[in-house]
Amino acid sequence: MLNSLIMIIPALTGLFMHNYFCHGRLSAFRKTVLFFVYGILMCVSMSIVAWTRGIKGIGIVYMTLPHRIEFTILGCAMSFGIALGLCLVIEREVTIEKLKGYLNRFFGDVRRYYKYAVRSARADLHSEVANAYLDWLWWLIEPFCMMLIYTLIFGVVFNASEPFFPIFIFSGLTMWTFFSRGMNVSVNIVRSNKGIISKIYLPKFILYFARMLVNGFKMLVSFAIVVIMLIVFKVPVSFRVLYFVPIMIVFFLFTFGMGSILMHFGVYVNDLSYIVGIVLSMLMYFTGTFYAVGKRIPAPFGELLEQFNPVAFCIASMRNAVLYNTSPQMDLLIMWGLVAVLLSAVGVYTIYRNENAYVKVI
Amino acid sequence: MEHREIAIEVKNVCINYRIMKNVTVRHNLFQRHSREETFEAVKNVSFTVEKGGILGVIGRNGSGKSTLLRAIAGVFSPNSGSIDLKGHTVSLMALGVGFKENLTGRENISLSGMLLGFRENQIRDKMHDIIDFAEIGEFIDRPVRTYSSGMHSKLAFAVTAMLETDIMLVDEVLSVGDERFKKKSLGKMKELITDKNRTVIIVSHNIDTLKSLCDKVMWIHDGELKEMGEPGEVLERYVNFMNR
Repeated sequence: MLNSLIMIIPALTGLFMHNYFCHGRLSAFRKTVLFFVYGILMCVSMSIVAWTRGIKGIGIVYMTLPHRIEFTILGCAMSFGIALGLCLVIEREVTIEKLKGYLNRFFGDVRRYYKYAVRSARADLHSEVANAYLDWLWWLIEPFCMMLIYTLIFGVVFNASEPFFPIFIFSGLTMWTFFSRGMNVSVNIVRSNKGIISKIYLPKFILYFARMLVNGFKMLVSFAIVVIMLIVFKVPVSFRVLYFVPIMIVFFLFTFGMGSILMHFGVYVNDLSYIVGIVLSMLMYFTGTFYAVGKRIPAPFGELLEQFNPVAFCIASMRNAVLYNTSPQMDLLIMWGLVAVLLSAVGVYTIYRNENAYVKVI
Repeated sequence: MEHREIAIEVKNVCINYRIMKNVTVRHNLFQRHSREETFEAVKNVSFTVEKGGILGVIGRNGSGKSTLLRAIAGVFSPNSGSIDLKGHTVSLMALGVGFKENLTGRENISLSGMLLGFRENQIRDKMHDIIDFAEIGEFIDRPVRTYSSGMHSKLAFAVTAMLETDIMLVDEVLSVGDERFKKKSLGKMKELITDKNRTVIIVSHNIDTLKSLCDKVMWIHDGELKEMGEPGEVLERYVNFMNR
C-alpha cells in the first residue's frame, strides 16, 4: 500500500499542476480520468529514468527508504514538466504561443528592470549603514559574532565537533541567513512597497529580486570571511572548491522560487508571516546550521533530511566541496536544480497572473 | 482638427474589484475562487484623447475616476477591454510618490526616475533642476523619513513635474506646499498641461479649474460614461445634477 504512494503522490502533483494551468476549471470527471492518465505516465517515465540509471524495472519492494523518497520527489519534479506537456497537447487554453509570451515577457522585464533592482539594492545597502558608527563593518561583525556564539555553545557546551568547526558553522550560518531572510522578506514585500506599486507598474518579482540582491551581497561579504578563515586554518582545498558555483546557483534559484510563491500568498493571507516564522525556526534545526544533519540524526532519517531538504542539501554540499574536499552528489544537485527552476517558473507565472489584483487587495 | 493623432484609446474597459472574504490559510490554498464578490468600478467605458488634448474627468466620489486613471497608468490592467497608449510614456501624478523612507531625497529621485522608465544619464541631467525646484535645501541628502509633510510633497511634486512624460495623468493634484510654492507649482502645472505635445487627463472636483484648463470634459457616474463633450455644457449639467 505504502509503496504505491511513490506513484500516487507525483500523479496528484501532476493533476494539481494541470488544474492550475487551466485556471482551476476542470470538471470532476475529467479530474478522475486525468488522475489515472498521470498515474500511467508517471510509471512509464520513472521506469525510463530507472532504466537509464542502470536498474532493470523498478523493484519498489526492495528499495531503501531514501531511494523511495528520492523517486517520489523526482516524480513530482517530472510531473510538473509532464503536466505542462499534456496541457499543451490537450487543453485549448494552454498554447505554445502563450508559453512563449510569458517567457519573452519575463526576460524582457528582467532586462528592463535589472538596473532598477541593482540601483535599489545599492541604495538600500547604503542607507542601512549610513547612520551607523561602524558602517559596513557590521556586515562582518554580525555574522562573525554569531559564529563565535554558536561555536561556544555547540562546540564547548554540547560538545559537538566537526573538523574545522568554526568555518563549518560560519559557512552554514551564512547560507541559512540568506534563505531565512529571503523568506521573511518575501511574505511582506508587496505590502511594504505599497507606495510604489499603487503608483507605477513594475513586475512585482523585481521587488523581491532587489531584496535578494541585498541579502546576496551580505552573503558574499560573509563568504569573503570564509576565504580568510580557510587560509588561517590551513584547510586543504582543491579544484572541488569550484562546485561552490553550481551549488550557489541552485540555492539562489530555489530561494527565488520559494520566495516568489510565498510573496503571492503573503498578499492575500495576512497571518502568513507567523506561519513562515514558525516553519523557518523549525527548519533551521533540521537544516544543520550548527551540526552535521547526516551524522547526528539517526539513520536513515539523517541522510533523508540532508538529501531532501534542499537548503540542508545545498549547505552540506557546499561544506563538502569547500571544507572536506568531496564532490556533491551530482544527480541530486541536478534534480534540485530542476526543481528550483520549476519553482521559479511557477512563482513568476503566478505573479504575472495575479499581480494586477495585488493593488486592489492591500 | 479632425485629422489629429490619437494618443490614448480606451475601448470597452471594465474593471472589477474582487472583494475577498474569509481570508484564511485554508481557503487560500484549497478553495481559491469560491468566496469572492466582485464590484464593478468601471463599466464598459470607451473614449479617445487626441495628442496634445486636455481631458477633464468629473464625477462624484467613488464613481471610478481614479480607478480608470490608474488603469491608464498601467498600475493594473483592465479585466476586459483594451487601453492603447500608442507607445507614449505615461506617468501618474498623485501626492506622495512611493518614496523609500530610509533613502535620501537624491536616491529617491533617481529610483523614481528609473521606475518611470528614464535612463540613468537622463536622470542625472534633470537632477539639478529637480533639486532646485523642490527648494528643500540640504535635506536633499537626508533620509526622506526626516522630512516634514510639506517637504515630502514638494519633492514628490518636483520629481513628477520635472521628469516629463508624453502623457500626464493628474489626480486632484494641482498645487502643494505653502502659499509661495503653491503659486510656483500651479504655474508649472499650467505650463506642463498646456504644452502642445503633451496629452493630459485631469481628475478634479474643482469646476473652475476644469473649465479654464480642459478642452473636453468627461462625466463618469457610477462607473459608466455619462457624458463627454464641451466643458461648459457638461459641467453645467453636472452641477445641476449634483445640486438636485
